[in-house]
Amino acid sequence: MEEPATFERHVYKNASVYHYMKMSLILEDESKRLIAAEFKQLIVSGLRDLYGEIGAAIPFDLLTFDESTKTAILRVYNSGLVKLWSAITLIGSCQNELCAVRVTQVSPFLLALCGNSRETELD
Amino acid sequence: MVRFKSRYLLCELCVSERNSLQLLEERVIYHAVRAAVNRAHGDYGSAVCNIGFSVKYVNAHTGVVLLRCRKGHYRLIWSALPFITGIESRGQRVQCFLNCLHVGGTIRTCQKFLVRYSTRQLHRMLLHCTSEAERREVRKAVMSFSLKKRREDGEEEEEEEEEDDGCGAGVDT
Repeated sequence: MEEPATFERHVYKNASVYHYMKMSLILEDESKRLIAAEFKQLIVSGLRDLYGEIGAAIPFDLLTFDESTKTAILRVYNSGLVKLWSAITLIGSCQNELCAVRVTQVSPFLLALCGNSRETELD
Repeated sequence: MVRFKSRYLLCELCVSERNSLQLLEERVIYHAVRAAVNRAHGDYGSAVCNIGFSVKYVNAHTGVVLLRCRKGHYRLIWSALPFITGIESRGQRVQCFLNCLHVGGTIRTCQKFLVRYSTRQLHRMLLHCTSEAERREVRKAVMSFSLKKRREDGEEEEEEEEEDDGCGAGVDT
């Protein structure tokens, strides 16, 4: 006698308060160096342009900034994610020079940012 | 049928000198609010202000201002109002602040509120009257109230008259 198949349904509700964003800054002049503080300043000014003084007060942290590849990981509260993301997308110039910020990965888990399935090369 | 819903913000403009209220114009207030929203909420706030935001009613005697905006984002405009510290009118800068009294869905409810609010203010201020003669004076002023009359009467019992002014104007419109 076979038992009827049982199944359990798991619904995952995001329990994390933060989202993590991985992004890279692309500058016209490749050789230009930028430090972490300047990068954060760039994002804050982008927020101020789009969302004003109140938007500039959105709390977010710059966790890492790799100066050679200009790649950064940001941590932001879920409530500010959409605003931060849209402001970052609209950043167009950095220190009077054309630039763009490409958001590569966004995840509620920091661990998910350690690898990128789009870039992994299979043997 | 579907319609665009609005929110009406009933505000009171507070100035240190009552005479400067005469400088009030719809255009001046519109620009002051726009500038405040732009500062507080940036380009996004400005763009939101572009649709459906207007100054519906300004009373230069009482400083009552009625702003209209779309229901969806009235909070943006509402939250920017406290950041207005002065208005620029006819080359003069007047220090003032906007006190938001009521947020309503229609002009009618705002009007009703304004009448009730003005009556309450009047009752509150009547308590401060010291003598019976003063009270009688106020009553006479209220009974004989009209905008034209007030200018002739002079400035006695200014506060009470002003409040009543708001009440009367609310009913008229």
